Amino acid sequence: MDKPMIEAKDVNFYYGDFHALKNISMQIEANTVTAFIGPSGCGKSTFLRLFNRMNDLIDNTRMEGICSVDGKNIYDKKINIDELRKQVGMVFQKPNPFPKSIFENVAYGLRVNNIGDKKFIAHRVETSLKAAALWDEVKDKLHQSAFQLSGGQQQRLCIARTLAIEPSVILMDEPASALDPISTSKIEELVHDLKKQYTIVIVTHNMQQAARVSDKTGFFMLGELIEFSDTKKMFLNPDKVETQNYITGKFG
Amino acid sequence: MKHNPFIRKMLEKITEQILRLSGAITSITILFICFFLFKEGIHLFNNPDIEKGYGLYVHSRNPTIQLSPEQTKKVFDGELDNWKELGWDDKNISLFRIDDAFEIHSEKDLGENYELLPQKLSEIISNDESIIAFLPKKYAPSGASVKELISENIKIGDYFLGKEWLPTATPAPLFGVLPLVLGTLFVSIIALLIALPLGLGVAIYLAELAGEKQRRLLKPVIELLAGIPSVVYGFFGLVVLAPIVQKAFGIPVGETALTGSLILAIMALPTIISVSEDALRNTPREMREASLALGASQWQTIYRVVIPYAKSGISAAVVLGIGRAIGETMAVLMVTGNAALIPHSVFDSVRTIPATIAAELGEAPLGSAHYQSLFLLGCILFVFTMIISIVAEIISKKKNYKTH
Repeated sequence: MDKPMIEAKDVNFYYGDFHALKNISMQIEANTVTAFIGPSGCGKSTFLRLFNRMNDLIDNTRMEGICSVDGKNIYDKKINIDELRKQVGMVFQKPNPFPKSIFENVAYGLRVNNIGDKKFIAHRVETSLKAAALWDEVKDKLHQSAFQLSGGQQQRLCIARTLAIEPSVILMDEPASALDPISTSKIEELVHDLKKQYTIVIVTHNMQQAARVSDKTGFFMLGELIEFSDTKKMFLNPDKVETQNYITGKFG
Repeated sequence: MKHNPFIRKMLEKITEQILRLSGAITSITILFICFFLFKEGIHLFNNPDIEKGYGLYVHSRNPTIQLSPEQTKKVFDGELDNWKELGWDDKNISLFRIDDAFEIHSEKDLGENYELLPQKLSEIISNDESIIAFLPKKYAPSGASVKELISENIKIGDYFLGKEWLPTATPAPLFGVLPLVLGTLFVSIIALLIALPLGLGVAIYLAELAGEKQRRLLKPVIELLAGIPSVVYGFFGLVVLAPIVQKAFGIPVGETALTGSLILAIMALPTIISVSEDALRNTPREMREASLALGASQWQTIYRVVIPYAKSGISAAVVLGIGRAIGETMAVLMVTGNAALIPHSVFDSVRTIPATIAAELGEAPLGSAHYQSLFLLGCILFVFTMIISIVAEIISKKKNYKTH
């Protein structure tokens, strides 16, 4: 096995007194798609948000253990969080474009990075929109409000926005849960294409989705990682009975 | 009762009617106030431009036909003392008021009921070519050598563009509201220039940077600030702020436009802070997270995402702040020095519209031109605040990029 892109070792996480993640260890290889599944409140989103330190925004939380991305401990005091978030992009559950034009939405990550070269920005916006399979739909209205787009287009815009800063990892927190089936399938195709360049971790409620897009799947329950293995094995022949029950729809 | 659908329905109907009625009463009251204000105010322009019941009389050889209220005031103040300045020969103007008649003639000369007064007045005027006499029309002099100057009604232009506010001057009161209007705007705008950066700063601090503890401490304090009666602010301004301003800038008096603006700024702060803090807080969490997830720092997120998102709310805060400042009466009355002059610097003493109304309404005789002019000032203020609330309405509705 190659050196893992993402690694968690004995991670515990608390919201106040609530023990949200219990002793989780996991290794994720580069250029793979990993899906996290599990019932609501099982900690899969919390775990995902550890890797770009989004949980830091929530008051009264505590993290124990080691999380590293690309070999670096990201909870090290010396780490620059803004730099980390440039390396680990994130796509959220609800499409959340900025109240700006389509162009400015994609350029945002570059602008906050103090990149002023107009040609470079225009080029990067175009390649990012193309990579997010949105270019053809928006190339004539780049300077219109991003809110004019449909929900699915907005979500692909948010993906393009993330791609523009060229992260090495993309975290996706239920990226298709607010979308219709057609938009969902487009996002799934996109995930499949993006795998060549990026390491993708995707949280999903939709087991078929996990089965379709991912190479590996982790099943979470009540803050524990019950099982983590190849997606095929997970869905055909899981080791644990809980996983079996969840996948076959006996609960959750 | 609960089980009787008929009674319940009746009660609902009655409640609905009561609510409708209270809505109607409120709207009617507001309309009534507007109507009353404008009705009283508009009568001002039916008043003659010199004191009611009086006339100005000159010798018939005097070619002057009419004097403007300013000219009349200058003549009787002695600022204009030669007819040459009014386009006649080089003659000194001699002033004559009705009281002067009693110095020349004994009461006996004038008859028991002053029935001889008009004749004596005619004599006085015909003996002095350079005279100008301000006399009651009741005793109007007559004769070939006496001419009454034409008096017109107060002109709208003189009211709105007049630079002098001397509503109690005789013979001709001056109702120029320009100094009051400019004074009001001047004080309010300076107040806003002080309050806006400060208020916005506090709002950003509260909404973005302050921890739960600081916010729990600061918010009630700011809300308390809004609850202090304005007369207390005025008192504070008079006793504390004015001397400080006086000393700090080495000026003869501390009651200046700046002092008023400072007090108004303090008074507008709670509004500006709470409205813009709400606006900043209303920026969805997802927006912030999206920005931070793209590697933007907290400050970049604040000024590139949060503030633009809250722009309309912040603008509303600004407009509400101005509204508060423009309408404020007591505190301003106490600290601005109340000189009805067009301000040239922040160290000038100014008088605002609300302060003028509050200070003068008590002295103005009911139904007099002065009284009506104050109502018209009220109308001006009303129009100002109406424009401001319309602007606020437009701004807060304008959410261009925001609607999903």
